[in-house]
Amino acid sequence: MTDHYTANASAEATTFEFVSEGPKGKVTKVVRYTESHLKGLYNMGFGDKDELTNYLSDTSVTNNGDSQKVLATVAATLYVFTDEYPAALIVATGSTEARTRLYRMGIANNLEAIERDFIVLGLTAGEWQPFQRGVTYGAFLVRRKSLPSQP
Amino acid sequence: MKSKKESAKKKLPEGFTIKPGLDEQYANQPLFQDKVDRVNHILKTVGLPDFKLLAE
Repeated sequence: MTDHYTANASAEATTFEFVSEGPKGKVTKVVRYTESHLKGLYNMGFGDKDELTNYLSDTSVTNNGDSQKVLATVAATLYVFTDEYPAALIVATGSTEARTRLYRMGIANNLEAIERDFIVLGLTAGEWQPFQRGVTYGAFLVRRKSLPSQP
Repeated sequence: MKSKKESAKKKLPEGFTIKPGLDEQYANQPLFQDKVDRVNHILKTVGLPDFKLLAE
């Protein structure tokens, strides 16, 4: 997979921050894993930080020419998060159809590498299925493989 | 789900560093709440995947 940006992680490994650099300048990106109503099921949120307001938007389009490196960084946060929460189920959805398609392409382009370490499912026609290239999904769910043995 | 691993010294992959206070930095805004709501909606309407799909 593509090289990723260096990133900061919170002590709980649920929030990550990194800086995208490109023609549009430096843009701070934030990834946050938030537990849903079901314990162990997390949403992966991802967006840009407005440096003036500190507000995070997951609908802004940066066009910084580094989408592969940004996606690789987001993927790298998955490893850190699941190192800390190995049994977590993580759901990702795009804020727009275009962004969901971008996620799908990112997964499809790196599927073999991702599937070495994660089980990847997609949500289509109201049911979860193993991720397949060429299928349109509305959401993605991943789980880390090879759960470490517990003491 | 298994609780968070206990680790006095967290070993992070190359390129990652711990930034104390990062969670608190965004504590005043519900981050990506619409997405969390969507996950809760999926949970309610679709449910979790069949366990077999999550088995290695």
